[in-house]
Amino acid sequence: MKLSDFRRPSTLKEASSLLKELGDDGLPIAGGTALHFLTTLKDKTAVDITGLGLDGIKDNGCHFEIGSTTYVSDLMKRRDGWVLCQVAKKMSTNQIRHMATVGGNIVSVFPWADFPVALLALDGRAEIIGNSDRLVDFDDYFKAQPARLFEPGDLLKSIKVRKLIKNEGFGYHKEVRTAAGFSMVTAAARVMVTDEKIEEARVAVGACTGIPRRLTDVEDAVKGIAVDWKEINKVVIDATKNRKWKLIEAQGVEYTAHLVQTVITDAIFNGCQNLNKEA
Amino acid sequence: MENENTILGAIQIGFTLNGVEVETLVEADEMLIDVLRRDFNCLSVKAGCHEGSCGACTIIVDGKPVLSCLLRGWQIADKDVWTLEGVGSYDAPHPVQQALVDNGAVQCGFCIPGMVLSAKAVLDENPVPDDDEMRHAMDGNLCRCTGYEKIWDALTSVIDANRKGGK
Repeated sequence: MKLSDFRRPSTLKEASSLLKELGDDGLPIAGGTALHFLTTLKDKTAVDITGLGLDGIKDNGCHFEIGSTTYVSDLMKRRDGWVLCQVAKKMSTNQIRHMATVGGNIVSVFPWADFPVALLALDGRAEIIGNSDRLVDFDDYFKAQPARLFEPGDLLKSIKVRKLIKNEGFGYHKEVRTAAGFSMVTAAARVMVTDEKIEEARVAVGACTGIPRRLTDVEDAVKGIAVDWKEINKVVIDATKNRKWKLIEAQGVEYTAHLVQTVITDAIFNGCQNLNKEA
Repeated sequence: MENENTILGAIQIGFTLNGVEVETLVEADEMLIDVLRRDFNCLSVKAGCHEGSCGACTIIVDGKPVLSCLLRGWQIADKDVWTLEGVGSYDAPHPVQQALVDNGAVQCGFCIPGMVLSAKAVLDENPVPDDDEMRHAMDGNLCRCTGYEKIWDALTSVIDANRKGGK
């Protein structure tokens, strides 16, 4: 893919009109780190969407609102009820963290992407503006490639992520060979723990699946079990034994399954170990 | 909405390079690394992999370490850009440069510009990072020669000196 031109609109309205005018030829760009992986042969006109006020993190009481062009490096700082720092710190390399945006990581979802898996587990909504302003639950947003939800003229404005409440925890784990490498497996879990037992869980996995997936069978299976790594692992293995995973490079079916099950277990257990103790 | 400064398909951009305001023409698809090397003779910016994996092309833009092989030239319009050419000098090297020399941390030297800029970026923000923070900040810079030990010794010596100096 080649960029044949670029435009720098000065307002959101201008950006939306421009993208509508350009149609399939327009490509909204913030960090642009994913351009390297776009395989379309068609030339595109880049529309720079930085500087339009789409960045920043707001604390809206019970949820955080994160602007789509917020840099991943800005997500690394810890706040009350904030857990996306865990994901941001593990994403790629320091340079990429300072270039990539959270929106860029979830508008075109590559198998190795970090934030789709984390957001599926955390739950929340994507705010899309342009032709019509709407909120899309993450369960729907990540059902297939999110690009299907965007018409020319639409932009991802922000994501809204619920804060963890008391006794909720979040764990994020990925398996990757080098910092700059593609993830082999990513897993995230939001758990509610009461009396040392998992009361509720949302579990998602990526890289080893075509698109990030919630594992509702695992979610059901871990309910009521003790916070113990071996117990959790036993349940995860049983719940996922019939699943087919995308094979890890140069590895077989058994090793892939073992690695996936271990990473899922780690994510759930880490979530149980990092509970929000405050109301 | 047309580009006002388009000349023969190229766009005129201005930015600050190593403290000096500059201008150049860039095409929409031109990579920043090529613009810096061709138009401004910033040969310290090395093309190691052209895919954002090695860190040899690291520069500093608005205080942040970024990969010039993944950025288009127009993406740094109106920004403050630093390459190794603007960091220290032969007579007055930056502490990181001196430390790398003092610790024998330079073999072929290809990775060093990127190493210096990544280190400078984190130390400008926090002169005394702990080990985890420093390692995390350097995780995007690869070296094929040294095995990293001497580079690490050099960086920790700078941090120690900063700590002793009360920074």
